[in-house]
Amino acid sequence: MAGEPGELLQGTLEMMVLKTLSLEPMHGWGIAQRIQQMSKDVFLVTQGSLYPALIRMKRRGWLTTSWRVTENSRRARYYELTPAGRRQLGLEEASWLRASAAVNWVMTGRLLPDGGRA
Amino acid sequence: MSALSDIIERVRSVIFRRRDERELAEELAFHADMEAAQLERRGVSRAEARRRSALALGGLERVKDDVRDARGTRFLHDGQRDVAFALRTLARNPGFAAVAILTLAVGIGGTTAVYSAVDAVLLQPLPYQQPGQLVRLYYTDVRRKEDRGVVTPVHFLDYRQSMSSFSSVAALFLYSESGADIGTGDAVRRIRILPVSADYFDVVRVPPTIGRPFGPDEENDAPVVVLSHALWKQQFGGNPSAVGKSLTMNGRSYTVAGVMPDGFADPLAGAVDAWVPGDLRPGRDPNEADNHYLSVIARLRPDVTIARAQAELDRLSKTLAERYPRAKYASARLDPLKEDIVGNSSKPLEIMLGAVTLVLVLICVNLANLLLVRGSDRAREFALRAALGAERRRLVRQTLIESLTLAVAGDVAGIAVAYFAMRAIVAIGAGSIPRLSALTLEPRLLVFSLAVASLSALGFGLLPALRAARTQPGDILREQGRSATSGGVQMRLRQWLVVSQVALAFVLLVGAGLLIASFQRIREVPLGVRPEGVLAFELHLPDARYDSTARARFYETVAERIAALPGVVSAGGVSKLPATGDFNIWGTTPLTGPLANADRGNIAGQNRVVSGRYFDAVGIALLDGRLFDEHDDVTVPRRVIISRAAAERMFPGVRAVGQSLTTGGGPREIVGVVADVALDPQGRSGEGYVYHPHRQFAGDRNWSLVQVVRTTGSLDQLQGEVRRVIASLDPQLVMYKPMPLTEAIGRGEAQRVFTLQLLTTFACVALGLAALGLFGVLSYGVRLRRREFGIRMALGANGGSIRRMVLREGMVVTAIGVVIGLLGAVALSRVLASLVFGVSTLDPRVLASAAVFMAVVAAFAAYLPAHRATSVEPSSVLQ
Repeated sequence: MAGEPGELLQGTLEMMVLKTLSLEPMHGWGIAQRIQQMSKDVFLVTQGSLYPALIRMKRRGWLTTSWRVTENSRRARYYELTPAGRRQLGLEEASWLRASAAVNWVMTGRLLPDGGRA
Repeated sequence: MSALSDIIERVRSVIFRRRDERELAEELAFHADMEAAQLERRGVSRAEARRRSALALGGLERVKDDVRDARGTRFLHDGQRDVAFALRTLARNPGFAAVAILTLAVGIGGTTAVYSAVDAVLLQPLPYQQPGQLVRLYYTDVRRKEDRGVVTPVHFLDYRQSMSSFSSVAALFLYSESGADIGTGDAVRRIRILPVSADYFDVVRVPPTIGRPFGPDEENDAPVVVLSHALWKQQFGGNPSAVGKSLTMNGRSYTVAGVMPDGFADPLAGAVDAWVPGDLRPGRDPNEADNHYLSVIARLRPDVTIARAQAELDRLSKTLAERYPRAKYASARLDPLKEDIVGNSSKPLEIMLGAVTLVLVLICVNLANLLLVRGSDRAREFALRAALGAERRRLVRQTLIESLTLAVAGDVAGIAVAYFAMRAIVAIGAGSIPRLSALTLEPRLLVFSLAVASLSALGFGLLPALRAARTQPGDILREQGRSATSGGVQMRLRQWLVVSQVALAFVLLVGAGLLIASFQRIREVPLGVRPEGVLAFELHLPDARYDSTARARFYETVAERIAALPGVVSAGGVSKLPATGDFNIWGTTPLTGPLANADRGNIAGQNRVVSGRYFDAVGIALLDGRLFDEHDDVTVPRRVIISRAAAERMFPGVRAVGQSLTTGGGPREIVGVVADVALDPQGRSGEGYVYHPHRQFAGDRNWSLVQVVRTTGSLDQLQGEVRRVIASLDPQLVMYKPMPLTEAIGRGEAQRVFTLQLLTTFACVALGLAALGLFGVLSYGVRLRRREFGIRMALGANGGSIRRMVLREGMVVTAIGVVIGLLGAVALSRVLASLVFGVSTLDPRVLASAAVFMAVVAAFAAYLPAHRATSVEPSSVLQ
């Protein structure tokens, strides 16, 4: 099981897309590649989930798109964060960190340092 | 902010859908290329790389759909495809589509037209201001409060003077239809005129648009006229200066007082061309307070209820009864005008409404049946598509769109049918149903019918799809070839639908059957005349050119001249055609004989004035004495012929000929007794007839005798010949409303004919639908059981026994339907009671005929599927 590309956690795809795009504008395939690489091949982003997510995010005003020419001189649609997208990324990062820390605490079974009751 | 950008983006995607699609395709292709290139770099062959990248995409189309979903435009894209697909599917099965659309069209069209008729006639208020204040005033007898009769001018003038509950009250001279000849030479034609009292336009609250109404000082036969809008256009070219100009009617010059607005319709009369003041001079009539001929309508004061007005009328009637001893039992009653107008026609319309509702239910059931069959036919198709990855939601939506396509087509056809059905109703019902001429398609009702029919199409279309979506595709696919169990459940549902169809159709059949039986009974009723082969037409002589002597001479001359035509047996005239209702009911008292001057001998005589050889022309037999001849003129004492009933009532036990009686203002000598004649087509008999010779009675009034001509030849040919005879005598005269006497007598039955025609139509439609339903359900059953039949035949069953099996199944369904329908007919028998004549509403012969008819039709419907069942090749199904 481990090592196989896994399914994305629900709701995390959009956050990761935002994160990826916060570095530089990118086309769809690039986004998928970047996520796969950065997750050390744990996450495999399929087109089926990526493009609908991109459309949704664009609709919410987080992304803008433009057609540009790639380094291999092919036409591709590039996605770019808007200020609203950047704000959204901040929000999601914060809530992710809080949630993942909490999940970690639960899964490692340690009691909160000062919340324990004997 | 976010919501706004969302909306903008959605709108944008709808507008730029085509471009978006193109760009999406390009983007995905780019993605796939990059994917493949990467794989190739890792050493995978080009072809394999392509395959894998395609695989990774999870199906290009699927991704596109998902993107469209995200964009919110998928419904558009799919919708377009679904409609195209639906059209293709329907085109592949044109029979199904045609039947479904036709069913919808009949349902929508029929119901809308009938509901519109009911709405126009029964539900819409009268087209006058404050219509609730309008009442009809009837003469009634204090001993028989249910009687409704016309009013005497004497009483009318008293009501007008004394009734404080009325803000206005008007009299209409409708007793016999009035007309006038206008124009000269070849252009001469007859128009309908209506003499009214001065307050008439006040009561209906519709004043002339130009000019003025009549004044009370003109209620003396003054030569003034108010024109209808149409007549004004025609005679004066719509020129407002027409007021004050003169118009010649019946050779007499009338001054135009005013013009009524376009579209004005009289509440009690139809198609009136002009109004003239009625003659209400007191003391003009010989019978005074005993001579009834006015139709009276009134408008109540705003604060007065009909009950209060009735109370005042009752008090006044008591006073009047003392004042006029000849009318000591006279009283009056008030009915709301609208009830009075629609009263007679509400029953047929209600029955029509019931019938059409039944048909609508039937149509919905039929549609349900059709769509259920289709649904189960396609259960496998759906299962297969679901197994291949089609989404359930998508399948359901596709059926929905298919049903919607059907519904829209049916709706369009339905509107067309509604339009034509309405025209047909107007054509058939005009004349017997008031207010029908104003019929238009009522948009609300159209929307209602469209909604009901479309919803049932959608609902029943969706049902099988939902069912298919619920079941596991594998289950259905595994049933392949075997008789499906789910089909069995549906089969039962459909059988019950057919049972209900048979039941509904049976009820309608019984209704139509009862009416047909009523007609036969009416035909069999002895009327006392032989109306076949008799032409009847009106012939009016204008007062301006014909005095009483000229009239007396003319009517005899015209009868003689017509009688001389080839093929003509005899010709004559009468003041009121036989069997067309009451007329001139005058108190008639024997002056001689055992009951001389006794109250007991007093009858309400039906007085008729006759010319020429009337009795021979209509076929009334002479029983005793003689008929009138040329010697019965003004130079000799007044003579009459009476009917047998009158003779037996007034002169019991003695010979009536030679006796004398008093009626119509003086003593008369009886010269003959003739056979009785019914008063209406149902054979109602009065207390007896008194016939006066026109030669002696022409001076009483202008009788406008209806001419009757008996011929051995064709009536059509006769009509032209008669027209030439009249023209040779006086080219200015109009041969008005020529028609066969049978038709003139049948006129009173127009309403029953109207109901019969509609009910028969509905019954036929219902029968057809039920047969179609039965045929469908049996055919489907046969298809499901092909295997079973194959096995049976392989085991030695012959074709006959298989056929009987299917037929029996059809007959059982029919029998159950008939039994249920019988219960329905019993429940509805009271509704039908008012329409039938001479038959019980539960007449066993009618019920049995309807059942047999139903069974025969069902047998026909069942035969084809039964026959098809025997054609199953055992080897082909068992393989």
